[in-house]
Amino acid sequence: MKKKIIQAITRPLNILGGLVKKLIKPVLAPAQRGKVRRSAIIVVLIVLTASAFSYPKYFNQGIDWVNKRHNWNIPQIASKDFYLGLDLQGGTHLVYEADVTNIASEDRDNAVEGVRDVIEQRVNFFGVTEPLVQTNKSGGKYKIIVELAGVKDVNEAINMIGQTPILEFKEEAKPVELTEEQKAESKKHNESQKKKGEEVLQKLKRGGDFKQFVASYSEDETSKNNGGDLGLVGSNSPFPIFYDKAKVSEKGIVPELITDSEGLNIISIGDKIPVAGNATEVKARHLLICWKDAVRCEKENTKEEAKAKIDELKKQATPENFEQLAKDNSTEPGADSSGGDLGWFQKGQMVPEFEQAVFGMAKGTVSDVVETAFGYHLILKEDEKPLYEYPIARILLKTQPETTIAPTEQWQTTGLSGKQLERAQVVFDPNTNQPQISVTFDEEGKDLFAKLTESNVNKQIAIFLDKRIISAPKVNEPIKTGTAVISGSFDIAEAKELAQRLNSGALPVPVKLLSQQTIGATLGQDSLSKSFKAGLVGFILVMIFMVLFYRLPGLVAVISLLSYVVLMMVIFKYSPLHLTLTLFGIAGFIFSMGIAVDANVLIFERLKEELKSGKPLTSAIEEGFNRAWLSIRDGNTSTLITCFIMFMFGTSTIKGFAITLSIGILVSLFSAIMITRVLLKLITPWFGKYKWLFLDKQ
Amino acid sequence: MKLAIIQKRKNFFILSGFFVIVSLLSLIAWGLKMGVDFTGGSLMELQFAQRPTVEAIQTSFKEFNLGEITVQPSDENNYLIRFKDIDEETHQKIVTKLKNDFKSTTTDTAESTENTPEQPAIEVIDDSGNKLNNISFSATTSDGTKVEGKNDVKKADVTELRFDSIGPSIGQELRQKSFYAFTYAIIAIILFVAWAFRFVSKPVQSWKYGVVAVVALVHDILITIGVFVFLGHYYGIEINTPFIAAILTVFGYSVNDTIIVFDRVRENLRRYHEDFEKTVNDSVNETFVRSINTSATALFVLLAVYFFGGETVKNFVLALIVGIAVGTYSSIFIASPLLVTWHKLTERLSKNG
Repeated sequence: MKKKIIQAITRPLNILGGLVKKLIKPVLAPAQRGKVRRSAIIVVLIVLTASAFSYPKYFNQGIDWVNKRHNWNIPQIASKDFYLGLDLQGGTHLVYEADVTNIASEDRDNAVEGVRDVIEQRVNFFGVTEPLVQTNKSGGKYKIIVELAGVKDVNEAINMIGQTPILEFKEEAKPVELTEEQKAESKKHNESQKKKGEEVLQKLKRGGDFKQFVASYSEDETSKNNGGDLGLVGSNSPFPIFYDKAKVSEKGIVPELITDSEGLNIISIGDKIPVAGNATEVKARHLLICWKDAVRCEKENTKEEAKAKIDELKKQATPENFEQLAKDNSTEPGADSSGGDLGWFQKGQMVPEFEQAVFGMAKGTVSDVVETAFGYHLILKEDEKPLYEYPIARILLKTQPETTIAPTEQWQTTGLSGKQLERAQVVFDPNTNQPQISVTFDEEGKDLFAKLTESNVNKQIAIFLDKRIISAPKVNEPIKTGTAVISGSFDIAEAKELAQRLNSGALPVPVKLLSQQTIGATLGQDSLSKSFKAGLVGFILVMIFMVLFYRLPGLVAVISLLSYVVLMMVIFKYSPLHLTLTLFGIAGFIFSMGIAVDANVLIFERLKEELKSGKPLTSAIEEGFNRAWLSIRDGNTSTLITCFIMFMFGTSTIKGFAITLSIGILVSLFSAIMITRVLLKLITPWFGKYKWLFLDKQ
Repeated sequence: MKLAIIQKRKNFFILSGFFVIVSLLSLIAWGLKMGVDFTGGSLMELQFAQRPTVEAIQTSFKEFNLGEITVQPSDENNYLIRFKDIDEETHQKIVTKLKNDFKSTTTDTAESTENTPEQPAIEVIDDSGNKLNNISFSATTSDGTKVEGKNDVKKADVTELRFDSIGPSIGQELRQKSFYAFTYAIIAIILFVAWAFRFVSKPVQSWKYGVVAVVALVHDILITIGVFVFLGHYYGIEINTPFIAAILTVFGYSVNDTIIVFDRVRENLRRYHEDFEKTVNDSVNETFVRSINTSATALFVLLAVYFFGGETVKNFVLALIVGIAVGTYSSIFIASPLLVTWHKLTERLSKNG
């Protein structure tokens, strides 16, 4: 078993090595300089592309410049950030234990999955970029691990996550009929309000500041604190009752209680203000003669006949006899009693032709014949006056409805909850093979559900989990057996999810916080900048050391190390594995820089030996690489094995470190064997004469 | 120039033996100082504008009855405070109390000091928020009216940088996991080394390379642990989860180092059929510079992280530094000489028998 693991690790390495050799061997035979150049170009291209992606800012500036000059349209590289772990951006790592003692063992897995799902939903409320919610079963215990990176209010998150999910069945809310007792009570309340209102009116009559009365009596929460002010009340305001009152009342306090939908009001009217544009309202009456095809006409006469009739009436009409003429002749229903009276109206209330005529004519005159869709009209304009808006303040004394209460919410509680739900599971419709969710209630739930379905046939029943609606199936028929299926166009995954959610409320799984690890954002930022500095210092130290000790090859190794850093950055930013950068991951990365040069050191030491033994440069390099490879492979394999074990057993901190270190080792092998080797091969002939560049002494 | 490392092996054995025994004895006598990760408990790191005395902190914590509270200075203005594990509610109470107790008395606007005499500042626990220069906060007076004031303090006086509270069962589990990880790592490495040297059988069997590599490894680990026993005993440095990662990394690195020396032995055995002792000494000499240079580069970067990388990773990196330094030493001065000693011992036994 262990051997297999070792083989699993070493085999790819062997293959990698073999592949690298195969790729390199033909191109590195001394006679084939052209091929060396070609692979050098490939390596340089890989590294340049990687650098462009790892830090696209300057590259994109370059693209902009080129695009501008040549009017090209080369796309930019989208800049991408590292995924920062919670120790770098601040956040919290929470471990919960799910208490499954009350749940049958075969249901436990599902129940815990359901809880996980609920927690995930709750967590999504916190606007955390990538919340992690995992379950973990070890030794018969269920744990739920929650990681919230960048969460601001850890305390609230903990409070919310820790609640046991609540499942409720609700029906559409109906107006509630009051009981006799309640009716009596509201009546009593309303009477006492009325009495109070009258008292306040009496007091106001004796004088005093209206605002003070507002402050002490008004029950209108919105206007109470600004002296009862409702603003300017015009014809379109939400207070039509007050507007109508204001039009016919004097300025000041209206000496009566005004009833509206909210209750009893005492209003105070301020100085009226003309409406913008000096709009007016008009009082008029009209006489209508319609014909067969006109709107709402019940007569059989033709349009021509109507025209003749109206022309004749026009000749007779005066302001004095107009009412009587209308009563006798108008075809408008009810005109015989109303005399065509239209009352007061303003612009926008009548059809355009009619409006144009009536607002254009002088007061106290009869109009010419006006044609509208309804027929021919004669109009008597009786009066016209400007429109006003009124500043109104009020004291509200709320009254209660005396018979029914309108529902305030869409859904109302039914008493049926997760407690009475025995289980939910996915079943398949035997006819259509569609997945459905079957729900089973206990004895108590059976009765409740029967009643609920009876009174809600063809209506919806909403299922709430954690106060959020998760489904609202329609009731097809009364269900008295205590078992029902929820059907719909679910796919299996959706059906399973819904069943799990139902179960999570049905099988209450309390969770207990076992541990929390919270890191403040400041500490995270601090760690990030410090790690960056440490990495830079470490890199410079290694660079100086390598150049001093190994000279030209050392310089090549530095270039290779730089490429290594760039490649690592690209892998971390763009890898589909969503590698997360953690503090210990960065430490692992910096450490891997130290190890990355190891392969170079091994190769260069071999190179020196081969040179000392008198071999020419090019073949010495080849030999050096070949001989060093075995050591490099075996040596790194042992580190990879321990990384693998860390990954298997570790907590997230250790995992982050292990992943970075192992990726670092693999990439460093590539950079040592591909980049160092190819570059060294390329430049050796240029400096072949100067052996001091390679060796300190002959 | 050739170093007579194998010939002088007794000196190194004595030196290493001494350190291993001291480490073992101190481990038995004192034990490692385990952090909250392993024991369960709470660890709170607080940053102060002006660090109060340890006694002041102790007094603030008194009302919560948390048993023993250790307060340890860290960084310039920080304190690390350890106590038993608590629930979130208690945690919030402690934070509020601390913010109250160590609230600034110097504010720029005179009126705000007048308006908010000793009012509890109700602040959202938002660490990034504390960096803002103008935190506007509201305090509620006893009669419920709001008092608004601009807090112009340059820096919040107490910031909770970190809070860990770990239940005892988690600690237990972690100890168990670490134990398994170590066991599996050792088994995996013996098997791997035996496999890597499977073609070498003369004059020393391949599995012996594996065993010797592991002996060297145990030597490295024991000495590293020994160093932390001392640090724990005298400086209160605790070991925590990352320490396990460090030790496992030293596992890999130490074996890596040893393998590279053995690899050269293997190669030289195939090329020259000379005396085993001489071959091993040559091999060690040939790989000497490489061993030193490799660990030098690794140590450079680790030292950079140790000095510049911040408090959190410091002890982790220290464990790596000690482990790698000892690992390099053992791969040169212990592993290969042991190979020779074992070889000689078997030779003598077979002659006698």
